[in-house]
Amino acid sequence: MFEKRDEQLIEQALKGNKKAWFALIKRYETGIYQYGIRMTGTPHDAADLMQDIFIAVFKSLSNFRGDGSFKAWLYRIAHFRCIEFYRRKRPDTPLEDSEELSCERPTPEHSLMSDITSQSLTHAMQRLPLAQRAVIELKFFGQFTFEEIAEQLGLSSNTVKSRLYSALSKLKLDLEVEHG
Amino acid sequence: MVNQSPEYLFGQWLDNALTEDERSAFEALCVSDEDFAARVATATQLNVAAEQFSAPPMPAWDKNATFIAPDKPKWWQWQGLPAVSMAMSAAAMVMVMSGFSMQVEDGRVTMGFGQSVPKGPTEAEVAALVADRINHYQQANQAMFTQYVNALQQQQQESSTQLAQYLLKSSRQERREDFAELVQFINQQRDDDQRYYARQLTHLQREINAMDDGYTAVTE
Repeated sequence: MFEKRDEQLIEQALKGNKKAWFALIKRYETGIYQYGIRMTGTPHDAADLMQDIFIAVFKSLSNFRGDGSFKAWLYRIAHFRCIEFYRRKRPDTPLEDSEELSCERPTPEHSLMSDITSQSLTHAMQRLPLAQRAVIELKFFGQFTFEEIAEQLGLSSNTVKSRLYSALSKLKLDLEVEHG
Repeated sequence: MVNQSPEYLFGQWLDNALTEDERSAFEALCVSDEDFAARVATATQLNVAAEQFSAPPMPAWDKNATFIAPDKPKWWQWQGLPAVSMAMSAAAMVMVMSGFSMQVEDGRVTMGFGQSVPKGPTEAEVAALVADRINHYQQANQAMFTQYVNALQQQQQESSTQLAQYLLKSSRQERREDFAELVQFINQQRDDDQRYYARQLTHLQREINAMDDGYTAVTE
């Protein structure tokens, strides 16, 4: 059976078709939930962020013009919602390149994660600043090109590469710490 | 000329877009620069981790909360309403300016343009019309009353005639019955008299017979 394209589901959802909207959610919820876990570090926050993201996506659905892929557009909104999520958590903290946004200590909820490598990686990513974490997330887990990431984050391609380059150096050390 | 910048080469490698020359430069950098090689190793490790990443199971979450059903437009928000309103206004203006008039008379509707609207009757005409109508009404009532009285009189007359006929008929019947009874009484009297005289004659005959027997005995 052929699956409907994202654009078809969006068109139907905009007409009030709940089923089409849920089909669209089902297609991306796992990716967004995992994005939330890697960006926030806890399943609970990830679930909140996921709901927040999908509400924002639905509200902005009519603005999607289909110039690029829906996935890229979705992750762009996800990134903004993630920034907003941290702004709500710590309103006085500047967001870009801030070390303050990193989670230094793993929470008990981390123990819920099944795989140790995934757990270590999630811990290590929490130590990165949000801006670097977002680049790592989109490049390695989102499988976007540098150009796409640059467009999503509103940066130049070189800045994205530079952030990734710096983030990898820090992440290497953190992963070594995690593995002992 | 190959761009020897580590960041550039690293980016090209990640995008899998290295040319032959860039690949040579990239490999040379991996050998000569430990820090660069470590980044490459971390990136490789991350790629593997991304493929094998396992997250906690998806929690049950309220998907319905994300669906905000679009409001159905109210009837007064219908997009054609301004156009219809405009058209109606234009039609009204045309009707006013062209002297459009419409008359309803005896179930017929007459419409026309450029006709002067007929003026209503004056007060005197209305009074005369009312007086005429009242007079007509009174005459009609009078005629109806007269007809009603005549009908009543005729009905009364018929009733009296029927009553008289009934009385005559019933008295005649009674007289006939009385005469019948009288005749019957007389006949009965006559029957009694005849029986009386018959008995008297029988008695007389016996006496005569007895006298006759006595006489015979004396003579013998």
